[in-house]
Amino acid sequence: MNISPNEAEEALAAIQRMTQKTRHSIASSGAYIFLILTGIIWLVGFLSTQFLSGEITVYIWTGMSVLGAALGVLLGTRMGKRVRSPSANASAKRAGIFWLLLVFYCIAAIAIARPTDGKQVTAFIILFIMLGQLAMGLLVSFSSVWWALPITALALVGYFLLPGIFYLWMAILVGGGMIVLGLYIRLRW
Amino acid sequence: MAELNETIHQPVRLRIMAALVTLEAGNEVNFTYLRDLLEVTDGNLGAHLRKLEEAGYIAVNKAFVERKPRTYVAATAEGRKVFQEHVAALESILKSK
Repeated sequence: MNISPNEAEEALAAIQRMTQKTRHSIASSGAYIFLILTGIIWLVGFLSTQFLSGEITVYIWTGMSVLGAALGVLLGTRMGKRVRSPSANASAKRAGIFWLLLVFYCIAAIAIARPTDGKQVTAFIILFIMLGQLAMGLLVSFSSVWWALPITALALVGYFLLPGIFYLWMAILVGGGMIVLGLYIRLRW
Repeated sequence: MAELNETIHQPVRLRIMAALVTLEAGNEVNFTYLRDLLEVTDGNLGAHLRKLEEAGYIAVNKAFVERKPRTYVAATAEGRKVFQEHVAALESILKSK
């Protein structure tokens, strides 16, 4: 089979267009929304922790988490109808058990360490969540691994270097960062 | 030097393979989603998928989701390899321009 360089160029351009269209379509079908959703929850939750009293903060975190979980399940179901991963489906049960055990380990670690303030508890929880995200990414979908690392790094920088504005730091840089990243994936990826 | 693949080079099949190879290995895509993505008819897509399936480049799975029959399509390992070889062949033609 022989083709001219012009035909080869057109074929490569068609492949490039299709690749971009597919990526964009998959991203716009929901993956970016997970990031924006988590970003909004963290932004609102941490801003309330920084500026509001304890009891109201608990209600806000609880409400936002329940809403986020419900929307997450809805979006996951919607995405699963378009693109599905048999390997991920098979390991979904194990992933659920893993997250339950991780929550238990996180509670055990906090109970043993006896953190003296809310910032330490928050840092523990973020580290365990990001550890779980890394494990899931490495085992199920490698493309979701990378963003857990900068979030962990930002959380550690905020905890050790900026303790006075830790929650504000988490809200703006981490929550806001997730929103910006989600929008970037939606618009540019 | 990599060879051009006649089965894959057909424009619709080239776009089908480009879309499927973009997915992570092992992931499969719904027939109707792929049809909308490619902007082709059911019959046209079905005919091209059969050709690719016969060549062993894609796998077609039928399943029931919420009691409705659905067809899922994925690129096989062989399909991914052949597609990459085809792209390499196209690039080498372009370089020799």
